[in-house]
Amino acid sequence: MSLWRIILAGLAYSVLQVALRFKDDDDLVLRLKARDPQVMSKLYDRYGRLVYSIIFRVVRDAASAEDLVQETFLRIWNRAQSFDQQRGALGPWILTVARNRAIDHLRSLDGRMAAGALELDRIENPALFCNFEDRALTLDRARRIKEAFQKLAPHQKEVIELAYYQGLSQTEMAERLKQPLGTVKTWVRTALQVLREELSGAAVA
Amino acid sequence: MTCAEFKEMFELYSLGLLESDERDEIEEHLAGGCAECQSNFKSAMAVNALLMSTVTHANPPSRLKRRVLAGFGIERSGWGWLGLLAAAGMLVLALWLSVQERERSAELVNARRQIIQITSERDQLQQAFTFFGQPDTIQVNFGQGEPKPPRGNVLVNSRLGVLLIASNLPTLQPGKTFEMWVIPKGGSPRPAGIFPADAQGTAVHMLSGPIDPQGLGAVAVSIEPEAGSRTPTTVIFAAPVPGA
Repeated sequence: MSLWRIILAGLAYSVLQVALRFKDDDDLVLRLKARDPQVMSKLYDRYGRLVYSIIFRVVRDAASAEDLVQETFLRIWNRAQSFDQQRGALGPWILTVARNRAIDHLRSLDGRMAAGALELDRIENPALFCNFEDRALTLDRARRIKEAFQKLAPHQKEVIELAYYQGLSQTEMAERLKQPLGTVKTWVRTALQVLREELSGAAVA
Repeated sequence: MTCAEFKEMFELYSLGLLESDERDEIEEHLAGGCAECQSNFKSAMAVNALLMSTVTHANPPSRLKRRVLAGFGIERSGWGWLGLLAAAGMLVLALWLSVQERERSAELVNARRQIIQITSERDQLQQAFTFFGQPDTIQVNFGQGEPKPPRGNVLVNSRLGVLLIASNLPTLQPGKTFEMWVIPKGGSPRPAGIFPADAQGTAVHMLSGPIDPQGLGAVAVSIEPEAGSRTPTTVIFAAPVPGA
């Protein structure tokens, strides 16, 4: 492995460490719900870099990414009241809001708005991010899913990228890739199955 | 759809990527309270969160944190430091100008003192030349032959007055000055003006105005308080004037 790849792996690992300190988030959630603005500084320190990375990965434009990061933290602040501090997983919620803000922006540029915005709004409802098992979001599982993703076939990687970072439905992927819908659905299903099984294996191990 | 089929779709559902009919069917099933699908749904959300957390690292600009926090009123925006810097710069500039002004004023005062001193020395030299040029001027040497005395000349002219040229004058203590006295024959000393000496103990002092050389017995110099005295306190020398 070249030095450059080792450095990249180290950087990715540091991002993961930041992202997966979910169990330390209880205090942040309490202060967020108590409308303590100072907590936003700590929240940014913990998630700002990852939020920016996800958004930048989607929009590929630094200026837009900065706008969307600001929008993401504002949305977290405004919606924190309905977050369940006992059972909620703050990290996954923040990452989802960040990804959705970026996808929404991308869709507005592509003219793919309409019902899409409402759909994104529904799936980032704080109430959905409850009852995560503690073992579901560990550093080891993140590392394993990354490795599993790297092992996917190129066409499987591509559909996962299109789903997560382009916000394309399977029908839109089929159009983009000029492939039959059934083929695309198979690629998506197989890829997700590999990732899912990798996590199941990690849980068993 | 069966629970197994739903399981295949939860990741896409939680990314908001299902067609409306598939989405409605899932939501209806989840609302029905299927425990297995609830669990699978949470697992799918965990897959999504974990996958997103492995995104390639990108560094946000440092100003972004200030910008985000400024939106919550808890930290100055990115331009706040510029205002402070400008204010600090103005303060430094004002202090520098003030110091410059003081230095310039001090230099001006020193220059004026030097001009006054040079003018005074020039006038004294002119007076000395004038005294020396007059045929009726009486010249008296004093201090000759002494080991370390004040030495010099006293020039007396009936029209011009008395001119003292002295060297080897003692170093004065702070608050003291030299004072010249004219002593008439058989009379008491009369003050003839205070004067300083330079660092080498050299001084030139003149009492201007007509004077009667015949009635003048001596010219003396004493050390007195800065404001001068009405009678001599510490006489350091007295030069007898022989008369015309």
